[in-house]
Amino acid sequence: MSNVVLEMKGIIKDFPGVRALNNVNFEARSGELLALMGENGAGKSTLMKVLSGVWPFPTYEGEIILRGKKVQFANTKEAEDAGIGIIYQELNLIPGLTVAENIFLDRQFTGPRGKINWNQTFSETQKILTDLGMNDIRPTDLVQNITVGKQQMVEIAKALSQKAEILVLDEPTSALTDKEVKDLFRIIRKLKADGVCMCYISHKMEEIEQIADRIAVLRDGETIGGVTPIAEISLDQIIARMVGRDIKDMFPKADFEPGEITLEVNNLTVVNPDIPNSFKVKNASFVARKGEILGISGLMGAGRTELVEGIFGAYPQHTTGEVKLNGEVLNIKSPKDAIESGIALLTEDRKALGLFLDKSIAFNTTISSLETISSKVLGIINNQQERKIVKEYVDQLGVKTPSIDTVIGTLSGGNQQKVILGKWLNSRPDVFILDEPTRGIDIGAKVEIYKLLNELVQEGVTVIMISSELPEVLGMCDRILVMCEGEIVSNFARDDAKKEAIMASATGNA
Amino acid sequence: MSADSNVAGGGAGSTKENHLINFMKDNATLIALVVLVIGLSFADDAFFTARNLSNLSRQVTIIGIIAVGMTMVILIAGIDLSVGSVVGLAAVVVTMLMQYGVPTFLAVPLTLVIVGGGIGMWNGFWIAKFNIPAFIITLGMLTIARGLALTLTNGSSVPVTSKVFPVIGGGYIPPMISSVLLIACAALAVYSIFRGVQQSRAHGVEVNKPELMVSGGVMIAGFALAFHVFTSYKGIPVPVAIFAVVAFAGIYTLNSTRFGRRLYALGGNEDAARLSGINTVRTKMIVYTVISVLAALAGIILASRLNGASPNLGTMFELDAIAAVVIGGTSLAGGSGKVSGTIIGALLIGVLNNGMSLLGVVTFYQLIIKGLIIILAVWFDVMQKK
Repeated sequence: MSNVVLEMKGIIKDFPGVRALNNVNFEARSGELLALMGENGAGKSTLMKVLSGVWPFPTYEGEIILRGKKVQFANTKEAEDAGIGIIYQELNLIPGLTVAENIFLDRQFTGPRGKINWNQTFSETQKILTDLGMNDIRPTDLVQNITVGKQQMVEIAKALSQKAEILVLDEPTSALTDKEVKDLFRIIRKLKADGVCMCYISHKMEEIEQIADRIAVLRDGETIGGVTPIAEISLDQIIARMVGRDIKDMFPKADFEPGEITLEVNNLTVVNPDIPNSFKVKNASFVARKGEILGISGLMGAGRTELVEGIFGAYPQHTTGEVKLNGEVLNIKSPKDAIESGIALLTEDRKALGLFLDKSIAFNTTISSLETISSKVLGIINNQQERKIVKEYVDQLGVKTPSIDTVIGTLSGGNQQKVILGKWLNSRPDVFILDEPTRGIDIGAKVEIYKLLNELVQEGVTVIMISSELPEVLGMCDRILVMCEGEIVSNFARDDAKKEAIMASATGNA
Repeated sequence: MSADSNVAGGGAGSTKENHLINFMKDNATLIALVVLVIGLSFADDAFFTARNLSNLSRQVTIIGIIAVGMTMVILIAGIDLSVGSVVGLAAVVVTMLMQYGVPTFLAVPLTLVIVGGGIGMWNGFWIAKFNIPAFIITLGMLTIARGLALTLTNGSSVPVTSKVFPVIGGGYIPPMISSVLLIACAALAVYSIFRGVQQSRAHGVEVNKPELMVSGGVMIAGFALAFHVFTSYKGIPVPVAIFAVVAFAGIYTLNSTRFGRRLYALGGNEDAARLSGINTVRTKMIVYTVISVLAALAGIILASRLNGASPNLGTMFELDAIAAVVIGGTSLAGGSGKVSGTIIGALLIGVLNNGMSLLGVVTFYQLIIKGLIIILAVWFDVMQKK
């Protein structure tokens, strides 16, 4: 077929210390949906940033060929003008403006003296929305008042209104409800018929089976096995390409007999401060035992993060309920109290909530347990002791770094995560809560983290792991709680846990 | 001051050509200061005299003391615009207390606690507890404190009657004692550098030679100059000694204490700091209290030096203090910066003021030139980071 619109050839992108993309090759045709699959950290997002001009031309190697012509974007504007529209996972709309204003941002219809013609702006927006079958969105709606699913539609409408012929969708369904996903797929099918070329980034097999025409797999920054029509490849083959090894040794679960109850949570409720009388977590009660890995599963926005942050005292003014540790009721008013009681929380959002990006590994490792390396009275830090402790963790966890003075922002995601693990291990927790601990890190580091969790359990630590990746939960946890819309809806023992049953409870269909 | 090698982890050059460029970049403010001093020495014979330099050092202390506190505030991504007014209020309060018969040794600490501690805790309370922007709270305090000073004095000046009080701002430590002190400090500094190097070597840490040579060289030159100036003209001015203590305490706190680490963490990523178990509310309150106490101290020194207080003392001092911090390389976004840089920044502003006065530059022009230099310094900083 000759209707190839986009071709990427030999794309290489280096970051300090890591090669994010290593020889990426694929081509995409008009009227098709090409699925770009790969594990977190495989380089999907970096690839997209190269395509969209976020990383301008000389910062990468290789060629981007658009409709037979080589292009070198200097910025995102040039990529947009060339007809490439990108829908990011984090939406880029302005919440306080209307749908119409967002779609025509900076391109409003204006009169001779620069006065905006609102009638035309609204009617053009209506036309675009009607064309796409988005009849339940009004041009005059404020973006902040419509659902995330609809916001995504608005992004798509915006990209298409800019004459995008290539639409890149980065994990578009991760925050959508089932119904919204159906709507999205309906629009995707329509766009295919209209001849739009779509690159769809995802790691959800079910979706890919439904809507993809062809598939390309990225692993460790490389395209593995070229572009294959979806009809000619099995799920197992896709997984094999993505993971690059037998899935069985991914989860080195070691079996222990769980001990007595350590953490007990009763009727924990976190209110939603933005909407009166609504809850992020509602009456959550559960126990965790010494020497077990307790998994918390559920969809994005089910309240998992809020539950553990509530336990950790992240927002005391919005949290009610009782937390007991080893039989004693804790009065946690801040993360500081939680840490002193023996609870540690590795946060989901590493950059925003976990790291001091421009500080050294040593700084990041000791910041939550400065008391252990400083004098009691004036808090004078003992540098030698600090270096010794940090070195031990760097060695124990296998952090790959030239020195403990290296700025943490220059390390790869996996190594950053290991440093944060070291930081929390240094606070000697009885209960270690990990929120999506393997997000965005490579497989090698993942397995190392799993092994570390085993060791912790063996030492008698209670481990609680939130994860969106079902294989990980099924592979590593002794018991699995499932959350749906702020409530804990089910509790599976390891042997009874099945993927389908967990999904059914997570979506409220149990 | 060797211990002031940054916590944030410095950029080490890889090749030799890069070394020189990096060196220039890392020490641009220092180089500018040296160039300015050499230039002024040639331009005016009166500049490089023991008498002028001694006076200059005394002038720098007021802004310098405030700027040490401002470094901490800006480090946690805050700002304090009220320091100038706190200077005025403290000057008025301390002189009035003495007028009412309170002895000097009581009036000074009382002022530090009531004016410095009180205003600082008030600022910190609103900023930390209720998350109101520091800009607004301290802007409000800028006029409140000034208003208080004017109300208390009814707009007129307060004379100083005490015989002891003028020593704080205008006295000198006798030359003999001064030279002993300077030599002792120099010896201590050299010893701490050597010990630092030894410890680094023992832990297999590569010693950054150029950085070491610069800080060592600057220190030796600084002590030599101070020795020359202070022994040939009356001795160390008392306010300079106070400033030295404040500056040393600032450097030591930021580098070597838990509290200092927490400031870097708080300024670098407040959410992560809180989730790492740092009591962000308390930390902020302490920082805003410290800067107000330091501003009150500066006000007391100023009143002492002038032998009286006017309610308008300290107007616009906040700008000079912020300028010293920013010129010294502390990021307004928070999370990175050093007190040693601030000291160089304060010296630069002091030398500039002094030089322009000597050269007979009209005051109006002085303001314009100072403003341009602040803009240049920040521009340079921004360019460097790109």
